[in-house]
Amino acid sequence: MSLLQRVKNVVRSRSIHVCFVDVGSCNGCDIEVLATLAPRYDIEQYGIYVHNNPREADILLVIGAMTPQWEDKLPALWERIPEPKAAIAIGNCPISGCVFQRRDTYVSAPVAKFIPVAAEVPGCPPRPTEILSAILSLAPTVFKDFEERRR
Amino acid sequence: MGFTSFAWYLKEFFRREWVAKFLFVKTAPLVTPPFFRDVPTLTEKECSHCRACMMICPAPGAIEVVHGGGVWHPEIYRGHCIRCGLCVETCPETVLASGRILSVQEADGTSFDATYYIQVDQTKCMRCGNCCVSCPVNKEVDPQMGSGGYSSNDEVIMRIEAGKHHVIHEDRCVGCKTCENTCPNTAIRVARVVTAHQGEAT
Repeated sequence: MSLLQRVKNVVRSRSIHVCFVDVGSCNGCDIEVLATLAPRYDIEQYGIYVHNNPREADILLVIGAMTPQWEDKLPALWERIPEPKAAIAIGNCPISGCVFQRRDTYVSAPVAKFIPVAAEVPGCPPRPTEILSAILSLAPTVFKDFEERRR
Repeated sequence: MGFTSFAWYLKEFFRREWVAKFLFVKTAPLVTPPFFRDVPTLTEKECSHCRACMMICPAPGAIEVVHGGGVWHPEIYRGHCIRCGLCVETCPETVLASGRILSVQEADGTSFDATYYIQVDQTKCMRCGNCCVSCPVNKEVDPQMGSGGYSSNDEVIMRIEAGKHHVIHEDRCVGCKTCENTCPNTAIRVARVVTAHQGEAT
């Protein structure tokens, strides 16, 4: 393993930038993601920073049941995230559509139809600890030795 | 002197203990509170296939009573289940458990009582018979029921008779909503009127 890769591993393990995007949820999961920022759960002590900017992000948190307006915008947003990147589906909605997946609704869940989803956190809404542990356990598998593995 | 006050600041605020804590200390991992209701788990009790859990479940596709290994048992799908705990509360055999719902229910003496009304919109119904065939109660009463929903058995809940949908035994309905989910036209609706009781023996 080259020295550069080792430095990158160390830096990336303590600096994970997360972009969260709401593709039509009830805001319950948004509140849980924001609760991870609050002092009780304090996501930043693990070096995870939450943004709304895909150009800065490493991990995309997808929240919501995928409304028709997002069908072209979500893949475009996914393209803008620089490598290495991963997407996590937060809550039931991006996995199954949850209570919105009924007759005469226009949601097109699951989100995995539009972008590759690396991890799923079920729950309606999931607990902040579950979101936190999902990000922390996914990060090493995506970021560790990324350049070496790609070669 | 400017420098000494600066050095004093450094000494005061860059204490070794504080710096180490700033860099390495994390808050203790939070424990799951006892009142948290996770996805229901199966207890050792035997399921009687009454489908009360399917009846009360508010999330589409979250719970199903399936036959496997010679016994009926409820199957809960993660990613659909919203962890409301209603199936745990309503189950008469306490097959499911989640958090401390069962002990609280025993202490409070709560129970559910439900009646069902089947409503068919005859202008939307196209008499395909999907509801009659898919109905699990019909399946038990008349396993011979054909694909059109025709039946000569008078004990079925509903059947297609002379090109028209007839509800014969509304009182036998268990409210599982299987007919609603299989109807291609949203013509059939099962209204569930659930009453909760407290302080009575279950």
